[in-house]
Amino acid sequence: MTDTMLAMIAEELERIAVEKGERLPLLTPDSRFLDGDLPIDSLDLATLLVVLEQRTGKDPFRAGFRQFTTVGELAALYTAAA
Amino acid sequence: MSAAPAIGKPADRLRPGWIHPGFRLIEGGHDLGWPELAAMPLPAGGAVVARRPSQVLAALAAAEVADRGLLLTRGGEAETAGWDPGRGFSVTLESSGTTGAPKRLRHDFDRLCGRLRGVEDSEARWLLTYEPATFAGLQVMLTAAAAGATLVAVPQDRTGAGAGGAIAGLVHAARVHAVTHISGTPSFWRAFLIALDGAELPLAAVTLGGEAVDQPLLDRLAERFPTARLRHIYASTEAGALFSVGDGRAGFPAAWLSEEGGGGPEGRADEDRPGLALRIAGGVLEVRSPRAALGTAGGADGWLSTGDLVERCGDRVLFAGRLGGLVNVGGVKVSPEAVERRLLAVEGVADAVVAAVPSPITGHLLTATIVPVPGADEPSLRAALRAATADLVPAARPRALTMAATIPLSAAGKKSRKGSA
Repeated sequence: MTDTMLAMIAEELERIAVEKGERLPLLTPDSRFLDGDLPIDSLDLATLLVVLEQRTGKDPFRAGFRQFTTVGELAALYTAAA
Repeated sequence: MSAAPAIGKPADRLRPGWIHPGFRLIEGGHDLGWPELAAMPLPAGGAVVARRPSQVLAALAAAEVADRGLLLTRGGEAETAGWDPGRGFSVTLESSGTTGAPKRLRHDFDRLCGRLRGVEDSEARWLLTYEPATFAGLQVMLTAAAAGATLVAVPQDRTGAGAGGAIAGLVHAARVHAVTHISGTPSFWRAFLIALDGAELPLAAVTLGGEAVDQPLLDRLAERFPTARLRHIYASTEAGALFSVGDGRAGFPAAWLSEEGGGGPEGRADEDRPGLALRIAGGVLEVRSPRAALGTAGGADGWLSTGDLVERCGDRVLFAGRLGGLVNVGGVKVSPEAVERRLLAVEGVADAVVAAVPSPITGHLLTATIVPVPGADEPSLRAALRAATADLVPAARPRALTMAATIPLSAAGKKSRKGSA
């Protein structure tokens, strides 16, 4: 289940990066979103969450902000969300 | 508008009263005090492109000495057309802007400084998270300068607050310089928490402003920085900084409203800022403030609309979005309707709706649903749609473009164009 989410996150991040003319480095569960390593900014991260909600029907942030730093932590939030 | 005359020898410049002798500015790799700022070659008044705090502070000092108006612009050419410098020393700032032309507001410098507490605090180390030539950025810089504190700034090569690299740079600077005071938008704080992860930071003061604050973020900040003073500031470009709320709860106490009788016609919104009154009229927060920008006196009775929709919930007044459909995306106010009009003008588009969806990262995000004309080529249509919004600020460009056969009459749940958070 988490693997499916990881693959979906990688796929959508790739799409966002390509639209900006950027290339995404190889993603791992430990890849950090806003650490400067990935070519994405806050708006791109916000876009990713919207797209993930569209695809999964889940919104782990419905009740507000929840802490996550890495790709793996975000995947776990979606896996745990009802 | 002719070029502003250069001021005399830098050494002639006296240190302004609003810069404490102990003030230090750490800007990238440079550690600057007043002597270094005074030596910067800047025009005394007129239009100044100021991307760095050193430029803003030096330009302010020079314009004050020359007793001339100063227009601080945040990029591109300093364009003075249509700008009224007024008489004497004042500061004109460009608003963070909608999808239209930036709005300029002239501020009396004494009034800008008037709301600062002016408490000496040479131990404080501030991190500048705002662009320098903005109202919020100016407040942070003037506060640090007056207190004799240290201001840590990370010069940005490219504009666009909240870029991943920019956040990483701010986190790095915060840790390296052990900053104690940070003021930022809720969108900044969400990104900062993500980038900071588990790192220790000895924060004494956590301040939020520029967007409505949600309770989960306040709770998260209180948990992450348990010893810090946590407060959120309510300000508007037109009416100036109005009040701060320090009880850890979103919104502000309903008892601060004038009609509650707490403080009579003057209200009691902020004990140390007398003269401020608040009321709700037609669901919109109105203020009467002695700190209103010049030329925005409001109605005949002095009440000024903030353009912010509010709701009373028990003992609390909560913010409920912008009047006129403007939504706040990462601290930038954008108009979904204006963006939608652009998309509708693209060849191959049959219909389009631009919606503001709530985002845990940037407050809101603009998304677009497009109905293509029959036979339209989707990849080239997507490229044309992106091109149609490419000149807008990043926050105003719709994300997550979806192709659909029809536009739903009412989007599911919270996804309405007006935004609902």
